[in-house]
Amino acid sequence: MPSIIEISGLRKTYRRSFRQPHNALDGLDLEVAAGQVHGFLGPNGSGKTTTLRALLGLIRVDGGTMRIFGEEVPHRLPQVVSRIGAVVESPQFFKHFSGRLTLQLLAESAGIPKERVEAVLEQVGLRDAAKASVKGYSLGMRQRLAVAQALLKQPQLLILDEPANGLDPAGIHHMRELLQWLAHEQGVTVVVSSHLLSEVQQLCDSMTIVSRGRRIVDGSVAEIIAGHSGASLSVRFPDIASLSEAAEALTAAKPGVGAIVERDRLIVTGAPEAAWVTQTLAEAGIYLSELVTQTKNLESVFLELTGTAPMPGQTVQIGGSVAVPETAAPIEVPVTVAVDGRPEAEEAQR
Amino acid sequence: MNLFKAELRRILRRRLTMVFGILALAGLIAMAGIMWAISSTGPSEAALAEAQAEADAWNAENPDFQDCVDDPDYFTESEYYTWAVDDPEYAELTHVERCETYVGMSAESYIWTYTFSFEEEGPFLLIGAVVVAGLIMMMLASSAIGAEWSSGGMSNLMVWHPNRMQLWAAKLGAALAVCAAAVVALTALGFGLLILTAAVRGDVGNLDAQWWEETLEYLLRSGILALGMTTLGASLAMLGRHTAIAGGVIAGYLIVGDLVVRMTTMALPVPYPERLSLYTWVTAWITGRVELYDWQESGMDMNPDVMVITWGDAGVMLGAIVLLFGALATWSFKRRDAA
Repeated sequence: MPSIIEISGLRKTYRRSFRQPHNALDGLDLEVAAGQVHGFLGPNGSGKTTTLRALLGLIRVDGGTMRIFGEEVPHRLPQVVSRIGAVVESPQFFKHFSGRLTLQLLAESAGIPKERVEAVLEQVGLRDAAKASVKGYSLGMRQRLAVAQALLKQPQLLILDEPANGLDPAGIHHMRELLQWLAHEQGVTVVVSSHLLSEVQQLCDSMTIVSRGRRIVDGSVAEIIAGHSGASLSVRFPDIASLSEAAEALTAAKPGVGAIVERDRLIVTGAPEAAWVTQTLAEAGIYLSELVTQTKNLESVFLELTGTAPMPGQTVQIGGSVAVPETAAPIEVPVTVAVDGRPEAEEAQR
Repeated sequence: MNLFKAELRRILRRRLTMVFGILALAGLIAMAGIMWAISSTGPSEAALAEAQAEADAWNAENPDFQDCVDDPDYFTESEYYTWAVDDPEYAELTHVERCETYVGMSAESYIWTYTFSFEEEGPFLLIGAVVVAGLIMMMLASSAIGAEWSSGGMSNLMVWHPNRMQLWAAKLGAALAVCAAAVVALTALGFGLLILTAAVRGDVGNLDAQWWEETLEYLLRSGILALGMTTLGASLAMLGRHTAIAGGVIAGYLIVGDLVVRMTTMALPVPYPERLSLYTWVTAWITGRVELYDWQESGMDMNPDVMVITWGDAGVMLGAIVLLFGALATWSFKRRDAA
């Protein structure tokens, strides 16, 4: 499976007078495979937008290489830009122009037929508001307009920075369906930078998490979450007095199994499977009333990986996320992808 | 070409373009209207008779006037009126008319008439209109670029068109094209309105080949100045990335900068201090020639040293300024990150 985006060792340092230099990107690596919705996540100030801006030629970098469709960018960007649609940061438009005129001017500048304007207005749900000036648009409507302009070119690569920003629940749902349709039905590769982790979890096939300008982890969303969820089980009993007895029975039954009493329940780790717990407890004459497999969601995995989980009485400051050592390899997670219509193959990401 | 056309359309569809267009049109019509209102081909018979009556009444009460009328040698006998005898018009007047003109009052003293001469005044009014059009275009071009930067629209355009030089060329080219069209349109309209005013309410004059040659030269140079101002406005906005910065630099120079130059040169013994003012070079560019006098070196002996600035000299100076800011803007756009 060819990579649509390949970034290696990307560095960007902002130097300002009378201030310490700031390494926005510190050797960042990123790979995005074709035909996927790829999430690009990281705490505030971790370098997501800087990466996207560098990729699109808006800023210069101090080191590293970037390729889109195999072409080195930004040098060869003019050759591939017609295949890329992008929205970077909060999109702004001339407020006195209508939504339709805004798109028409962009379409005209790139020699795109006018019919595309109507098509994308329909696609993002702005058909009825197309005549109104952008001044009267809500944040969500501007976001839709921004996505519409990114879709004008019928791109093969769609780069969207916070596409759900300002959208109402129906808008988010619509955007999710649209992006998944583009990726899975039309073969468009979609890169989404977002802080809405629940949305990313539902939307994306694969993702890369960055912190302080470096990649922490990449791979399929499901695998990353599973890889960090562990195999912990929550067990409750009709009688709280059974907790310590059950913990003893479980830890004694198999080496490596842990059991910690947490208020009115027992947290079991290292158990081969849930059935083994019920069987072991039954053999010890202890009967449980509830057994729940504890799974983590993307938010908890993200907070854990980036070190930005809130602590009681403390606030995580911008730039206070986890630093990845220069020599550390990113966490490898297998990702399942379809290759040329053949049965699904498992490919190890770097 | 698509990008250029889109940028052209973007400028033309801006509200500010419409507002400035209406203002320029209104200003031109107002100028022609004022000339129409104040110009006339001469006083009416009734106004002339009324003025003559007022002059007669005043003269009747003036003993010097009566003495003059009574004495045919009044002017030649008195050494006080040598200046009147030397006046070229003296010989053409009757004695009473001489008394009215040089001693008493004539009808002309009580009546004011102004006749607009298109031949003499038309070119300068048209030059003024073109220079104002240049100022307007300078503001419009800086606004078109500055607003794109401050709104974030420029970054969006750069995502569509990563070849920054192509983008800058299209934006600047569109602004210059609008400027050229506006100058031609305003000049043509101004010409029509003023010549109509002169034909009806004043004097068209003799528009011979030499007049056309000189006028077209003035207007051509003024038009080029307007294009230079447009380039300067766009370049300043590209450098400052905000309309207000470009506007501030321009207004700052027009209001304060030139004043500071003049005050500095008053305090320092610099020969030809006017040459430090941009207005001198602009005047030389438009009129073709400006002479500066160095009274300090000549010791006020009425034969000062003269520095001549021709339109060629001024063209080099003004062109260098525009080129410098244009080159800086180009470099800045090519090299700087889009914040």
